[in-house]
Amino acid sequence: MAVMGARATRPVRIGARSEAVAGYLFIAVPMILYLVLYIVSVAVAIYVSLWRWNVRTGPTTFFGTKNYEVALADPIFIRAIQNSLYYAAIWVPLTMAVGLFLAVVVNQKIRGQTFFRAAFYFPAIASSAAITTLWIFLAAPDGFFNAVRGALGLNPFFALFGIASNQAWITNENTALNSVIVLNAWTTSGTFMLFYLASLQSISHEVYEAAAIDGANAWQTFWRVTFPLLRPGHFFVATVAIIGALQLFDQALIAGSPNGDPNNALMTMVLYLYNTAFTQLSFGRAAAVGLILFVIIFGATLIQRRIIGTTPTW
Amino acid sequence: MASNVQAQPIRADSAVAVAPVGDSSARWRRRLAYAILIAYALLMFIPFAWSLITSFKTLPDSVRLTLLPQPFTLQGWQFALTGPKPPVAQMFVNSAIIAGVVTVTNLVLGSLAGYAFARLRFPGRELLFLVVLGTLMIPDQLRLVPVYLIMNGLGLTRGVGQYLAVILVLAIGGTSIFFMRQYFLSIPRDLEEAARIDGAGFFTTFLRVMLPLAGPALAAVAILQFQGTWNGFFWPVIFLQDPDHFTVQQGLYFFRQAGGFSSNWPPLMATVVMATIPVLVLYVFFQRYFVEGIAASGVKG
Repeated sequence: MAVMGARATRPVRIGARSEAVAGYLFIAVPMILYLVLYIVSVAVAIYVSLWRWNVRTGPTTFFGTKNYEVALADPIFIRAIQNSLYYAAIWVPLTMAVGLFLAVVVNQKIRGQTFFRAAFYFPAIASSAAITTLWIFLAAPDGFFNAVRGALGLNPFFALFGIASNQAWITNENTALNSVIVLNAWTTSGTFMLFYLASLQSISHEVYEAAAIDGANAWQTFWRVTFPLLRPGHFFVATVAIIGALQLFDQALIAGSPNGDPNNALMTMVLYLYNTAFTQLSFGRAAAVGLILFVIIFGATLIQRRIIGTTPTW
Repeated sequence: MASNVQAQPIRADSAVAVAPVGDSSARWRRRLAYAILIAYALLMFIPFAWSLITSFKTLPDSVRLTLLPQPFTLQGWQFALTGPKPPVAQMFVNSAIIAGVVTVTNLVLGSLAGYAFARLRFPGRELLFLVVLGTLMIPDQLRLVPVYLIMNGLGLTRGVGQYLAVILVLAIGGTSIFFMRQYFLSIPRDLEEAARIDGAGFFTTFLRVMLPLAGPALAAVAILQFQGTWNGFFWPVIFLQDPDHFTVQQGLYFFRQAGGFSSNWPPLMATVVMATIPVLVLYVFFQRYFVEGIAASGVKG
């Protein structure tokens, strides 16, 4: 833009002011919406969190930090934080590993590459509500999973883990959250595969040729060359995954109702926030919970940044 | 690894994907890869296939592990379409209106703003673009309380205003602006400069010269936005409180929880199939846009 020839610059210069006006007009509507729905929102959240605030009566008593204290002293909120962190700790590495594995396999010179890529992404196009409803059916005591397991004679194996032949996967508190982990690994592995594919294709062939000349086998090449060079990909996928994991809500609400049934096994941080606002109508505390969640999510992405490395290079 | 260069014999056939076909270990590796691929692909489709099969079964038959419904019945579909209140058809209309309007606002506002950020010069442009990117970093759920209170203050949490609340929240996503900007940046400047020298205004240049060139980007934004909004659950659940206003996705939750189908699997699975058909059709016809759009968002971050 700056290196434009003098002849081309002059007619544009004359219209500089009208160009600025046009620019502002073009972006006006989104900017007003962002101002209200993001910037003002954060200020409102902080303000509301300092009050006892019922959605019908508005602010009644100034609470200071009491909303924060009450939330953090609530064993159900602590359980919600534990559940969300457990979910993130298992689901994120699991889904990243499956996604990366699929990306590496699909990236080979194979026939039907386009088909497999499309097939693996397929579950991600359906809605969380449809997928979760479907899962509730498949994971019911007399559902598809248990029937297939029985038909394959796998029940003795599952019994080792204390899983009954008619296990109620989603309504048993020991397996509820793990079932949701498997469900979401199934739906999201294809998305992570696409992210990793983009990252894989940015690695130059010369690196692989060099590794081949060094006599590295496929396994060594993957761990010593591909995996480290995918760092920008790991960074991006992990960031998206962690933020998404700590926001788990749809599946928890649909499978576990607003109470996070059974026995709070599906109570997540965002479900707790939703409950505080819309079941208990306590908006002050809900705003405080929202800000606590923000700190937790922000902290988790900082830790992740430490583990994977410094700034990405893309 | 570089220190090994001289010690190791040169083996051009190892490592990379392009192992020669004649090598028998490579052939086995290839067979293994196909076995994994096919097994995983089946794993992706079986649950959907099972929901479709179940929708044509009777309730007692629905828990049996049989591929063919015995007897084959349309009762599940009939009940799904006529039994529940509000009717599925009405929820389809609600979903279609919201997804349609949100798609149009994202196209219009996203292309205008994307063009401005790509081409027009105005003070504060870079800072404002950072605001756009910043909106992508803030999770929706964290804005729940303030956004609800703001909409409540505007009177949009009652009656038909509830639709407007959902639409306003989703009206323009940062991704749409970002995506359009990247596309406009990739178009050569010559054309619009010619138009401007001919005396065309900024809006005319945008509308007549640039927009017609942005077809692929507009298509990608439209498809991904429609799919995302159609599938959306969070904001509709927050704002649409009257069952008559429910979207299809909320309806699934409502039927399962509050009553209606509960564990009456055939109609519930029929509703799952219906809720998925619109996005399935989009995916079958415009698969490229999904795969490339998602991949592009991955590369750019």
